[in-house]
Amino acid sequence: MSLLTVVSRAGPSVRRNLLGQAMTESVRWKSDDAQVSQPGYITKRKGKDVQTKRRKPFPQFRPLGAGQLKDEVYQVVQAPKLPEFHKTVAKSDNLVGQPVEWNPTETDPLRIFGLPKNLLLEFRLLSKPYSVIRQVTKDALETLNKAGISPSSNDRWVLTGKPGSGKSFLLLQTVEHAIQNGWAVIYIPRGVDLVNSTTNYAYDIRTQIYVQSTFSFQTLQRMSTVNKAIFENITLQKEIVLEKQTIPAGTNLVQAIEVAIQERKKSGSVASSPAILDAVMRALDTQTDVPVLLAVDQFQALYGKTSYRDQHFVPIHSFHLSMPRLIMEYASGKRSFARGAVIGAISAAQSTNPLPIELRDALELDKLDTRVITEYDKRNKTMIGYTQGLKKFDVPEKLTLEEAIGVFEIWKGVKAFGGDNTFYDETFLGKYTESGGNPREFVWNGLLSNFAP
Amino acid sequence: MVHVLGINLPDGHVVKFALTKIYGVGPHIANRLCARLQVHDKCKVKDLSPFQVTSLASFLSSPTTSPPLPRLPLASPDFTPPPSTISTQELQARFNEQLKQRTIKSTDPLRNLKIESELRREIRENIAHQRMIGSYVGRRHAMHLPVRGQNTQNNAKTARKLNRLERN
Repeated sequence: MSLLTVVSRAGPSVRRNLLGQAMTESVRWKSDDAQVSQPGYITKRKGKDVQTKRRKPFPQFRPLGAGQLKDEVYQVVQAPKLPEFHKTVAKSDNLVGQPVEWNPTETDPLRIFGLPKNLLLEFRLLSKPYSVIRQVTKDALETLNKAGISPSSNDRWVLTGKPGSGKSFLLLQTVEHAIQNGWAVIYIPRGVDLVNSTTNYAYDIRTQIYVQSTFSFQTLQRMSTVNKAIFENITLQKEIVLEKQTIPAGTNLVQAIEVAIQERKKSGSVASSPAILDAVMRALDTQTDVPVLLAVDQFQALYGKTSYRDQHFVPIHSFHLSMPRLIMEYASGKRSFARGAVIGAISAAQSTNPLPIELRDALELDKLDTRVITEYDKRNKTMIGYTQGLKKFDVPEKLTLEEAIGVFEIWKGVKAFGGDNTFYDETFLGKYTESGGNPREFVWNGLLSNFAP
Repeated sequence: MVHVLGINLPDGHVVKFALTKIYGVGPHIANRLCARLQVHDKCKVKDLSPFQVTSLASFLSSPTTSPPLPRLPLASPDFTPPPSTISTQELQARFNEQLKQRTIKSTDPLRNLKIESELRREIRENIAHQRMIGSYVGRRHAMHLPVRGQNTQNNAKTARKLNRLERN
């Protein structure tokens, strides 16, 4: 490269070091007179006189101390004092529309088993679990009380209804009622998690299905925590033969579950959890001391397609996965608790898990689903077998006026909307009419989307 | 950190996406590999069992010589598991005996999988073949110009940088 090329180039100049190797180096061309501009400074040139003027510094904003936060926005909202759920339903007088609260204990199902996402979000906004006793709540609890004396094969219900009608809330109310009345409760709040390939799975040559060890372990742990007092009095009818040990017959269920917990603590393995879960469920099948409630939300996910694939990349059916198969066996009556019930709730919120054809046929939900389905559409025979005997329990689409008042009082009590100048009765009637009484529409698109002062 | 064929897979990465770091493995092949190893979609590299890691490494080191996958029997609704007096090893041995009596036709698309150095070699050979037969494609590779009919009046900078006879 010639010297002229080096001088005339607009880019970085090429310099050569002592070894003659080219080095590219960016060189800033500075004149002796110019002052390099720096941020915060204004440079003026008048001939050779250079004047500098400092920019005014931006004011420093410091946060206020806690004692200076006197605006209404910062005031702690006193939670409304409402009667507790289980004490209220124990009364026999007319309670429709009564808002109630839950004060969950450390071992409450809604703490340990968890909640569906929509309920979790609502309780976070409310800062505490509140609910309203509806007419359908009273009917459901009455049905549950009657189911407590007969085998679960006689009481297999699916809560159905339009989106936003309150199925998940009703299921939670039945779970809370059951636990308060001494039932053993197994609650799965998100049925989608069983089939969406979020937990591990492995083929088991003995049972010839794909076992979900981690989910089985989590279910065992949660069941043991919630139903500890009940499980201490129930013993295994048969021994459980595991790979490294045998749990003898006569061991109570808490000790049997403790074996799985200790195995995980020592070696991190949950391989024996599916076998222990199956044995625990069989022990619950035969005992008659305590009724058992198996409650599953997002029930339709169990009957649809799964995201799991086998080694040949063929999708795995839900009845070949251990957890969905276990639930479907109880739901179809192939297995039964001596006393208890199986209740599921369908959900329209999961677009990846729509209502399957087989479940729609079994529950006669043609009006609920707008898809046109004919006799020529393919149905899985095995899946049809798992839907036999399911009964639908319709949740009304609309809140009655009393029930809507109860919901309104809860959200007004936590000051989620409104203020000093709000005409609450006008707001209530307006939003109730606009939503048509649908609970989700009333709360989310009505009360919480309200900009009125 | 898990090392597979000299490639480091970070612990916090989801396995399905971490496998795409291997040259020759894209999202579809990674999905198939996860299904082959019974790895669920949200599994992270640190959650892989040692058996799964060794299976992955042994398969990827030589996909063509891997044993054909059997079709696993699946339980019918009325299936009753065998009693616990029969051990798992015995059940596995019986299953292996049944497999030997059957001839397994392998239709596994992963058997012809090429990765890393084998894949690079194949690409180099393909380009060399095009040059050897004197084709238009070969000439374009030799001239570091676009091969597939793109405009060269403007752009074509990537082709000028990457297209060559000795590629990768």
